[in-house]
Amino acid sequence: MTRRLRALGALLAVVLLAASAPVSITGQLLAYQGGFVFFTTGDGFRVAPGVRILDNATKKPTSEQPAPRLYARATFDAQGRVVELDLSRAPLPVGPLPEAVEPFVVAASTPFPDPELAPASRLNAQGVPRHFSGKPVLVTITVQVPPNTPFGSQVYITTDASGWNPQAIALDRIDALHFRITRRIDSGTILHYLYTRGTLQTEEIGQNGLRRTPRRLVLSDTDVRAIDDIVYGWADLGPPGSLQAPQPNTIPTPFNPNPFPNLPPGLPTPHPG
Amino acid sequence: MTTGLKTTLPMSLLPHVRQNSFLFALVLACVSVTTARAATQPITTVRLQADHIAFYNDQYLIEADGHVRVTTSDGTTITGDTFSMDLKLNRFLIASHVHLSGPGGRLHGAALADFIAFDRVYFVPVIEKPDRWTYINGDFRHPIKGREMPGDVFYFPNLGNAKPTLTAASAVIGSMSYVRFNDATLRIFGAPLPLPSYYIYFGANSDLGQNSLSGANFDLTWNASGTNNSITAIHFRRDTANGPFLAAEQHFAGRHEFAVVSLNPATKRDKFWNTVAGDRIGKRFQLNLFEQLYTQQHDLGDPSAAASSTYLTFTQAFKQSYIQGAIQQTYYNLIGRASPAIPNHPIQIHLYGVTFNHQIAKTPFFEQLHWGFGFNHDTSTGYDNNTGLQTYGNVAYTTIWDHSLGYTVYLPDWKFGNRDNFYKTYAFNASESVSRLWYTVPHHINSATTTFSISRTFSRDLNAYVAYNVVNTGDYYNHGGYTPYAPTDANGNPDTGFLAFRGASTLRTATLALTYSATPNFLARLTFDRHKDFPNAVPGIFPLPPTNNIGQFLYSNYLGQPPYDISGEVRAKILPHVMIDVQRTYYFNFGTERWSPQFLVQFSQ
Repeated sequence: MTRRLRALGALLAVVLLAASAPVSITGQLLAYQGGFVFFTTGDGFRVAPGVRILDNATKKPTSEQPAPRLYARATFDAQGRVVELDLSRAPLPVGPLPEAVEPFVVAASTPFPDPELAPASRLNAQGVPRHFSGKPVLVTITVQVPPNTPFGSQVYITTDASGWNPQAIALDRIDALHFRITRRIDSGTILHYLYTRGTLQTEEIGQNGLRRTPRRLVLSDTDVRAIDDIVYGWADLGPPGSLQAPQPNTIPTPFNPNPFPNLPPGLPTPHPG
Repeated sequence: MTTGLKTTLPMSLLPHVRQNSFLFALVLACVSVTTARAATQPITTVRLQADHIAFYNDQYLIEADGHVRVTTSDGTTITGDTFSMDLKLNRFLIASHVHLSGPGGRLHGAALADFIAFDRVYFVPVIEKPDRWTYINGDFRHPIKGREMPGDVFYFPNLGNAKPTLTAASAVIGSMSYVRFNDATLRIFGAPLPLPSYYIYFGANSDLGQNSLSGANFDLTWNASGTNNSITAIHFRRDTANGPFLAAEQHFAGRHEFAVVSLNPATKRDKFWNTVAGDRIGKRFQLNLFEQLYTQQHDLGDPSAAASSTYLTFTQAFKQSYIQGAIQQTYYNLIGRASPAIPNHPIQIHLYGVTFNHQIAKTPFFEQLHWGFGFNHDTSTGYDNNTGLQTYGNVAYTTIWDHSLGYTVYLPDWKFGNRDNFYKTYAFNASESVSRLWYTVPHHINSATTTFSISRTFSRDLNAYVAYNVVNTGDYYNHGGYTPYAPTDANGNPDTGFLAFRGASTLRTATLALTYSATPNFLARLTFDRHKDFPNAVPGIFPLPPTNNIGQFLYSNYLGQPPYDISGEVRAKILPHVMIDVQRTYYFNFGTERWSPQFLVQFSQ
C-alpha cells in the first residue's frame, strides 16, 4: 500500500513539474516586426513586452537581433506570448507545431483548405503515384547509338542544368552500339537533355533528319530508375558519299576522289592501264 | 552586345561579302526573325537589388540580404530585408518588413512568396494582427483570406556550408531562362574575380547553347551579357595549335531558329570568323548554314591571306524518310596573294535520301537504306596538281557527277546465356553498312563496315565487352587504276608488301574492354585494341592524319595504325559537381611510338 502511494506521489510530481515547465518551440525566423515573431512555417506569435533575447548556446543576453534566416527557440508564457527568444546561427529543428502551441498562433482569418493543395492523382505510366521528395535516386541511362557512330567516339549528355555544355556528362561504352551512365539525381528534378559526340555540331538529330527538341526527364521518388534512349543519327554524319559537315576552324580539303586519306607520298595517282 | 560583322571586317574582304550577300542576308534574316519571334514570348523578369546578393550554382539558388528591392516585369515593386529564390522551382520569397506597391495595390507584411509559374502569391500581412492571404493571377485587390498555403512556402533553403559561386550588387532574373548579375565577383578556386556582369542561362532552349567554336584544351567562358534569346560571350581559351588566346561569340535563339557568330581566335594572326545558323520552318523543313571566313591578319589590319567556306543544307522530312540537300563552296584564296596559295574555289552540291530504321519482318534485325546524287565542280588545280578535280587518261575533269546507293542492317540487342540472371546474360549486337559510290570518272568506290560485339555485366561493378570491326574500302577503276608501288619505310628500305595494294584496303580491329565502376563517382577502364590491316602497318610509310586544334586526329580509320595499343582511363569525382577524366594510350613501341603524346584530361559534371 505504502509502495503504491509512493509511486502515485512520484507520478503526480512529474505531472506537476511538466505542467509548470514553460512551452517552447524551435524553428527558423522569417520576420520579427510589429510586436510579432514569425517562423518559416508561416506562423506568427505575439511577443511579450520585455522579451528576453538570448544566445541559445550560452543562455546569456546577446547583442544579435532577431532576423530572417537565424534559428531560434521561442518560449511562451501562459497567455501564448513569446517571453524568450534564444538565437542560434546553427540549425535548430524545424517541424510542425506541437499541439500545445497551436492555439498561440495569431491569425485574423479562420483557416480553410486550399483545393489546389488537395493530393493530385498523378500516376506514372505504370499507374504508380508520383511523389517528389527530393531524395537521391540512382538513375541509369542507356543509349543505343546509330551504327555509323565512329567506333572511337565518345558520347556525352548535354543538359539545361549545365548551360548546354556539350561535354557535360560523359557516358561509358558498354558495347558496339550502346553507352551507359549511372548517376544519383534528386527526385523532383526536371532535366532537359540531348546526346552529343562532344560538340553541338555533333549533337543527335531525330529519325526524320531534323534537329530534335531536348528530351525531358521528370524524376519521381523511386529507389532506382532505368532510362533507355535511342539516337537515330548525328548532325555531322550523313550516309557514305554525302558531303560531310565541316568543323569550325578547318577549311575543307579540296575534292579528293580517292577514299584513302593517308596513302604513302609518291604513290602514282590512278591512271588507265 | 558585340557589333556586327560589317563594322569589323577588313575593307579588302567586302567584295567577297557582296558575293556571299545571299548568305549574309540569310543569317541576318535568321537573326531578325529570331529576335522578333523571341520578343513575342514574354517572360516574367525579376530585377533584384540588395546589399549582398549570392548565387549558388550547384543548387541554382539566389540569396540576398539587406535593403532588398525587387521589381517585377508587371511594374510591382517589393522591398524587404531578405530574399531567396530557387531558379529551377521558379519561386521567390521576400521576408521581414515587406512592402509591396504596384498596379494591383499596396501591401505591408512579414513575408511574401511568389510562385511565378502558378501565378500565386502567398502573403503574411501584419495589420492589427497577422494573417495569411493568397493572391491569384496578380490581383492584389482581392485577397483570399485564411486559405491554406503550401507547407514550405516560406522556407529558406538549407545551404549548409556551401560557398557562393559569385556575389553581386544586383541581378536581373528571367524566369526559367536566365540570370544576369551586375558588379559581380566570381569565385574561382576561392580566388575573387571581379566582373562588370555575369550571365547564366538555365532555360530549356538548347539552341541558345549552340556554338561555332572549334574544340579547345581549355575554355573559360565569360558570358558578359544576355537575355532570354541572346548571349554575348568572351572565351579565354588554349589549344595545341594556338596556345592561349581570346575568342568572342554572339548567340541568338528563338523557338525554332538560332544564329551564332564568333571570332576565334581573336588575338592571333590566323583568325576564323564563323557563323552557324539554323531555322526550322514548319514541322518538316529545316535550313542550316555554316559560313567560315579565314583571315591572316594582325589585329584588324589588312589581311595577308584569306579563305572562306560555306556549307548550306536543307532537310525535308517525310513520314518514313527524309531528304537532305547540301551545298558547299570554298574559296581557298580570296585576295590573290600568299598562303593558302591554291586558287581553287570548288563547289559541291549533293542531294541524298535516308529511310527510317525499319524492323525486318518480326526478326530482331533492322534496316535502313540511303541514296544520293552529287555534283562537284572546280576549274583550278586539283588534288593531283593538275587542272580540275582529277586528271585521268589525259582528261582533266573539272566537273564530276556521282551517285550512290547503300544500306545498313543491324541487330541492336540479342540476349543469350542465363536470361533469368542479369549478371549471367550476354548481349550480342552486330551491324553492317554497305555502300557503292559511282563517279563519271570511270571508277566506283565500295565501302563496307561490319561490327560485332558481345558484352556482359558481371556484377554491379564490372562490365566487359569484346568487339570486332572490319572496314573494307575498294576504289575500282574500269581500266587501270592504282599501280604497284613500294614506298620506303622509316629505315629507308622499300616496303614490298605495299606492292600488292591496288586500291583496296581492309582494316580489322579487335577490342577487349573492361570497365570497373563501384560507385557513380568512380570509373576505371582498360581497353585493348589489336589492329590487323591491309596494307600492313609499317613504321614510317603512312603519314599520320592531320589533327584538329586540340591535337586529335581528324579521322579515326586510317592506314598504318599501330598493331597493338592499350588505353587506360580513370574518372573520379573531385568536387561535388565536377568529375575529372584522365586517359592515355600505350602503343607497344611501334616505330617510335610508345605513349600517346599527352594525357587527355577532361572535366565534366
